[in-house]
Amino acid sequence: MDGFLEYVPGNSFLHRLNPVTKIAFAIMFAIACFCTGNLVFLCLMLALGLALAASCSMMRQTLGLMRAVLAFSLVLAVLLLLTTPKGDLLVELPWGYIGSDSILAAVVTVIRLEAAAIPLFLTFYVTKMTDLSNSFVKVLHVPYRYAFTFASTVHFIPVFMNDMRGIMEAQTARGVEFDQGGMVRKIRLMVPLCVPLLISSVRKTNSSAIAAEVRGFNLRTRESGYKRYPMTGADWAVIALGVVVLAAAIALSLL
Amino acid sequence: MIEFLDVHASYDGTTPILKGIDLTIEDGEFVAFVGTNGAGKSTAMRLVNGLLKPDRGAVLIDGVPTTQLKTSELARRVGFLFQNPDRQICSSTVRDELLFGFQAVGRLDDEARRRVDQIIEEFRFDGDADPFLLNRGTRQLLALASIVVLAPPVVVLDEPTTGLDFCECVKVMGIISQLHRAGTTVIMVCHDMEVVADFAERVVVMTDGRVVDQGPTFDVLRNRKTLDEADLVPPQMVDVSLLLPVMEPRFAGTSVATANTLAEMQAAIEDVAAGGAAAMAASEKDALDDVPFQGSERKER
Repeated sequence: MDGFLEYVPGNSFLHRLNPVTKIAFAIMFAIACFCTGNLVFLCLMLALGLALAASCSMMRQTLGLMRAVLAFSLVLAVLLLLTTPKGDLLVELPWGYIGSDSILAAVVTVIRLEAAAIPLFLTFYVTKMTDLSNSFVKVLHVPYRYAFTFASTVHFIPVFMNDMRGIMEAQTARGVEFDQGGMVRKIRLMVPLCVPLLISSVRKTNSSAIAAEVRGFNLRTRESGYKRYPMTGADWAVIALGVVVLAAAIALSLL
Repeated sequence: MIEFLDVHASYDGTTPILKGIDLTIEDGEFVAFVGTNGAGKSTAMRLVNGLLKPDRGAVLIDGVPTTQLKTSELARRVGFLFQNPDRQICSSTVRDELLFGFQAVGRLDDEARRRVDQIIEEFRFDGDADPFLLNRGTRQLLALASIVVLAPPVVVLDEPTTGLDFCECVKVMGIISQLHRAGTTVIMVCHDMEVVADFAERVVVMTDGRVVDQGPTFDVLRNRKTLDEADLVPPQMVDVSLLLPVMEPRFAGTSVATANTLAEMQAAIEDVAAGGAAAMAASEKDALDDVPFQGSERKER
């Protein structure tokens, strides 16, 4: 069973790319999505994201992620719909109206968030966390302390999600009905569970810090890692593609 | 009564964890599930309290499939002790933690408060203590107490002694034993075969999602073929008994082949050892009688 944001082993083109290339492309891709509101361009970006996911056999994970992002982006879209009166009047509201352009803006928001999220999350599925932090140190000369902090933060997300799942299971076994009632009831039931989650996260963080200290964390330098992360032709080609995508988005926004 | 009827189960719907389990657990039994990691023991436990639903087949609690019972209804019938008490504990005081179960199943009344006070006294807890500041063993006891307080007819224990020292382990198992004597059905997953031999009445051996053997504890523990198949090591006492020849009991009245508790096993082994020692002494005496006493020979010279 694959966990959220956990590395999935493979040997696809994306797996083989330099971790720095993957994160750079994902960032450029996300910025490009936010640079323009052109619906056709955003749909193409979404299609490109899905093609990337298919190329490394991550469609199942990507569709799961898209479902999660959809829930969040729909909330934003509804807010946008109700608070941004634009275009021809469609529905009158006590504080304004819903216009034809408001609907377009809501659709753009949903597609933009979906498209921007895919390569970012895909990066974590096709890159080992240690490779990501080590390549930051080796290639970008980021101090190891900061690279480790970033890697640890991302690494702990699935760990805490697993913990939360375990805690919810334990409480379900005691009779707490998470599967009954509405959202408000669910939130009310989940609040007390934050205590064991907080306690376990503090304990885990403390143990990790002690383990890192005793293994000579402070002695580590840029040269400590034995693995090299050379930039190949494929890496430069992907970065070039990222630059082109970003330039196209900026050009569309200026037109 | 709990029945597993041709149960197939998986977590993701594709990778089978349980591959057709048929099993019946009668009311008031103490059953231990043993097997290596990944054998499917914990998955079987999750099916009992409805945390997991079978892909195929059915798990019946008193004749009702778990799929037809609400979580709170199942929680009233089946108490579940997790390996890690920190996932279970969520209140700021020991008293609130014990009351939480009643709250969850909608039974928080004066009777519940009286029962909590009684359990606090029985377990010798400080009701106002912060559960997260207690040591590991006491937290495990608190997690157990939060199940005992609800008095469910069935208790499922997923490796209840993991991470506990000897004294804590004895204390936890003592309480579980008391529960069982009071008529509670106890189902336990355990890797500690000494604990299994000491407490369980029946053992279910699992390997690769299947039940490979089940029966009275010592019958299963003496079955070397099953133990080898499940990669299990029996308690030392049983191991020693398997090396000894089956002899007629002389002193204890039980032979190593029929002992049903560790105490009986020990008595039988002592019996065999005593018999062996006596035989050895007799043969040595015979041998010595044949040897002329050199000291007297010297005297004669």
